[in-house]
Amino acid sequence: MSIFIVRRLGTMALTMIVVSLLLFLLLEINVEGVAIKVLGPYTSEEQRNIWLEQHGYFRPVYIRYFEWLGHFITGNFGESVRFKTAVSDVLWPRLGNTGILGLATMMVVVPLSLALGVLAGMREGSRLDRVISVTSIITTSVPEFASAVLLSAVFVFYLDLLPGTSSMSDGFSLVQLVLPVMVLVLYDFGYVTRMTRASMAEVMMTHYIRTAILKGLPYKTVIMRHALRNALIAPFTVIMLQINWLLSGVIVVEFFFAYKGFGALLLEASLNQDIFLIEACAMIAVFVAVTTQTLADLGYTYLNPRIRFA
Amino acid sequence: MTKELKDESGKRIHPYVPELCEQLRKGEVDRREFLRTVTLLGVSAGAAYAMAGRILGEPVTKQAIAAETPKRGGVFRSSMQVQEMTDPATFDWTQKSNVARHIVEYLCRTGADNITRPYLAESWEASDDLKTWTLKLRKGVKWSNGDDFNADDVVFNFKRWLDPKTGSSNIGLFAGMVEEVDTGKKDDKGNPIKTKRMIEGAVEKVDSHTVRLHLSRPELAIPENLYNYPTAIVHRRFEEEGGDLSKNPVGTGAFTLAEFRVGERAVLKRRGGYWDDEPYLDEIRYIDHGDDPSAGVAALASGQVDHVYEIDVSQIDLVSRLPNAVLNEAVTAQTAVARMQVDKEPFTDIRVRRAIQACIDHAKILELAHRGRGAPAEDHHVSPIHPEYAKLPPQKQDYALARKLLAEAGYGDGLKIKIDLKATPAWELAAVQALKEQLKPAGIELDLNVMPGAQYWEVWDKTPFGFTAWTHRPLGVMVLNLGYRSGVPWNESHYNNPAFDKALDEATGTLDVNERRKKMEVVEKILQDDAVIVQPLWRAVFTATSKKVRGYQTHPTFYHQLNKVWIA
Repeated sequence: MSIFIVRRLGTMALTMIVVSLLLFLLLEINVEGVAIKVLGPYTSEEQRNIWLEQHGYFRPVYIRYFEWLGHFITGNFGESVRFKTAVSDVLWPRLGNTGILGLATMMVVVPLSLALGVLAGMREGSRLDRVISVTSIITTSVPEFASAVLLSAVFVFYLDLLPGTSSMSDGFSLVQLVLPVMVLVLYDFGYVTRMTRASMAEVMMTHYIRTAILKGLPYKTVIMRHALRNALIAPFTVIMLQINWLLSGVIVVEFFFAYKGFGALLLEASLNQDIFLIEACAMIAVFVAVTTQTLADLGYTYLNPRIRFA
Repeated sequence: MTKELKDESGKRIHPYVPELCEQLRKGEVDRREFLRTVTLLGVSAGAAYAMAGRILGEPVTKQAIAAETPKRGGVFRSSMQVQEMTDPATFDWTQKSNVARHIVEYLCRTGADNITRPYLAESWEASDDLKTWTLKLRKGVKWSNGDDFNADDVVFNFKRWLDPKTGSSNIGLFAGMVEEVDTGKKDDKGNPIKTKRMIEGAVEKVDSHTVRLHLSRPELAIPENLYNYPTAIVHRRFEEEGGDLSKNPVGTGAFTLAEFRVGERAVLKRRGGYWDDEPYLDEIRYIDHGDDPSAGVAALASGQVDHVYEIDVSQIDLVSRLPNAVLNEAVTAQTAVARMQVDKEPFTDIRVRRAIQACIDHAKILELAHRGRGAPAEDHHVSPIHPEYAKLPPQKQDYALARKLLAEAGYGDGLKIKIDLKATPAWELAAVQALKEQLKPAGIELDLNVMPGAQYWEVWDKTPFGFTAWTHRPLGVMVLNLGYRSGVPWNESHYNNPAFDKALDEATGTLDVNERRKKMEVVEKILQDDAVIVQPLWRAVFTATSKKVRGYQTHPTFYHQLNKVWIA
C-alpha cells in the first residue's frame, strides 16, 4: 500500500512539474512580453529593459525556471498587475470563496444524487427510475448560463425573492449563496445521479445480490448491507472529480452572479493579461486536479478490496 | 488701446463678452453656447445666467419644482468596476476617476448641462489672443492632511502631467504648453527618437493663489480640459509620499477612502470640514460586479445597489419595467470609430479607405446597432451637439463609387480585411456586424476579430483596423486634438496631415463660435475626405438609479458628481 501511495504521489509531482514547465515556456520565455504585460503597453523600451534587468530576466532560462519554481513552492507568486498587490493576497481569499461555494454545492449534490441514484438503480426500468433518469438528463443538458438567466429571471426579477448578485460586499451572506448554488446543483446533480444509478444497477445484476434476494433476505437488508457499499465505489470517484470541476467549471456562475471566487479571478486574470496571477491560478487549478485525482485513486483502492495493492 | 471693460466688482471682462451678448440678442448663438463661452472667458456662472436672463427676458432662477427637502446621511451604493487607482495623471478609465473624484478635485467642473464652472479655480481669465490663461485659485481650501491648497500644488501637477516620464495623456491635451525635442537617441531604423515635454516656463506661479499658463498657440478649451478625467489635482508631495492615491488618499474632496479592494469594492466616507457645502451623503460605496452588464441590473432589481454605472442600450426596456428603478438618459458625443491606420496596408491607399467609407449608410447602422437612440455620425468626429459643429453635405451610400475606387486601387476582385473589436458593449459588435454587411456588396469581406475589452485596449493603437470607443468631450476640437493631430499619443490611426493640423490650430484658437464653425467646416471636410475613420453613430447613454435617489443627473461622460445627491 505504501509503495502505491508513494508511486501515486510521484506521478502527481511529475505531472505538476511538466505543467509548470509548459506554463513557464508559454508565458515567460518571451521576456519582452512579460515586461509589456507588467508595465503596460505604453511604456518605452528603455523602461522595459530596466525592469527586466532589475528582475533578473536576462539570466539563462533554466536558472530563471528553477528560481521561479522555487518561489512557487514557497508560495511566493509575485505581484498582480491588475490588483497592484501580492498575488497570494488576492488568490487565497478568492480560493476560499470558491471553496465555500463548492462545499455548499456538494452538501446538496452528494446526498441528493446518491439518494436519487440508488432509488433509480434499485429497480432498473421502473417508473421511478424513468422519472429520475429523464429529469437528470434534462437538468444536466441545460448549460449553466441558461439556467442562471432563467433562475434569476424567476427569483430576482419576477418573484423578487433573492438578491440578484452575490458579491458579498458587506461580508458573508447565506441568502446570496442560494442562486449560485441552485444553478450549480441543477447542472451537476443529474450527472452524479446517473453515475450512481448505473453503478447501483450493475450491482443489482450481480449474482450475490440475486442470491441474497432468492435466499429470502428482506429487500431493505439486501440494499443496505450488500448492494450499497459496492455501488458507492464508482460514485466516490465521480464526486472527487466534481471538486475539480467546481474549481474551474464555476467560471460562468461566478461571472454571472458577480461572485468573487477563483473562477471569476481566473477569467479576470486572463482577460487582463495579469501574467503572475494567471500562472498562480493555473498552478492551483492543476494542483487541485491532480490532488483530487490522487485522492480518488487512493480512496477507490481503499474501498474496493479487489484492487488493493494493485 | 481699447478701453478695459470691468464688471460690477471691478474684475476685468474679456473684450469678447459684449459681442457675445449682442450675438445672443440677435439669436446667432443659443443660450447654452452663450453660457458656455462667457463662463469660459471668466464670467462667473451666476453672472452668466443673469446676463442670459436679462437678454432673453427669462427669470433668473427657475422655480423649484420639487418641494422635497434634501435629507442628510445615507449611503449611495453604485455598481461600477473598481480598478486600481494609483495615479490620477495616468487614468485611462472613467471608472478609476469616479472613485478618485470624491477624494481629489479638479480646477474646473463641467456639469451634466455641458457648462464648465469654477471649482478649485475660483475664476480664470484669458488674454485676447487666448495664449495666456490666468487661473485664480480658491482660498481657504484645505487638503485632508491639513495643508493649504495653493499655487504650488497646481504648478506641481502641470509639470508632472507634461513630463514624458509620467506617461500622462494630458500631454496631448495641453499641446500648446508642450514642445517636441530630440532625445539624442536613435530607433532601430536610425531615425531620431523624439519626445514631448513641457516648454520651459509654460506654467508660472504668479502668487500663492494665482497660476498663469503660457501657450505657444491659442487654446480655447483650457477650462474644459481641466475637467478631463486625468487632470485631478493631487497634493504637491504626491510623489514624495509614495505616488499612490489608493494607499495615501490625500485630497481636497469631501470624502476619504475608507476601504479599497480592486475588483471588489471601494468605500468612501464623508470626512467633514469640506471647503464647500457639505454633501448630503455620508458614504459612497462602489461595488464591482465584474464585466457582465446584466449583473448590475440584477443587483439594482433586488435592491443591492442604488445606481448602475451604465445601462446598455439592450437593457433599457428591462430597466424601464423594474418597479423600483429610474432610467436616466443623456445625449452625448460618445461614439466609436472604425479607424484605419494610414501607414498600414491596404489602408495606405486612400482609395481603399474612401471605398470603405462609400459603402456606409450611417443612419441604418444607428438603427440596427443602437435602436436609433442617438444620432448618425459623419466620419469627422464632430458631433451635432458640439457648439462648433458645421453641417457638411450629407454622405451617401454609393456602391458604384466604392467598386470603382477598389478597382483603381487594384482590388477589383475583392478585398479581404480584418477588424479588431471589443465584445462589450454589445452595440459595438452589432455596429461592426452591420458594417460587415454593408461592405459586402462592394466586394469587401470583413473578418471580425472579437476580443475582450482589456485585450482590445492592449492593441487599440497598434492594430491596422480597429473599432475604438471614444468618450464624450464638451468641445469638438478637444477630441480632434487628442486623437487626430500628428504625433500625439492617442493618434491611433497614425493620421499625419499638416493641412489638417493647421486648420485645427486655427479652429482651436478661435473664440467666436460662428467664426470657429466656419473654420471647423474646413477641419471636418479634410478629415472626412481623408477617410481615416468610419464613424457610424453618436450614442445616447443611459444610467439607472433606484427611486430613492434624488438629485442625480447622468453626466454625458459618466462622471459622478454626487455632492448634491441624497437618499430619500
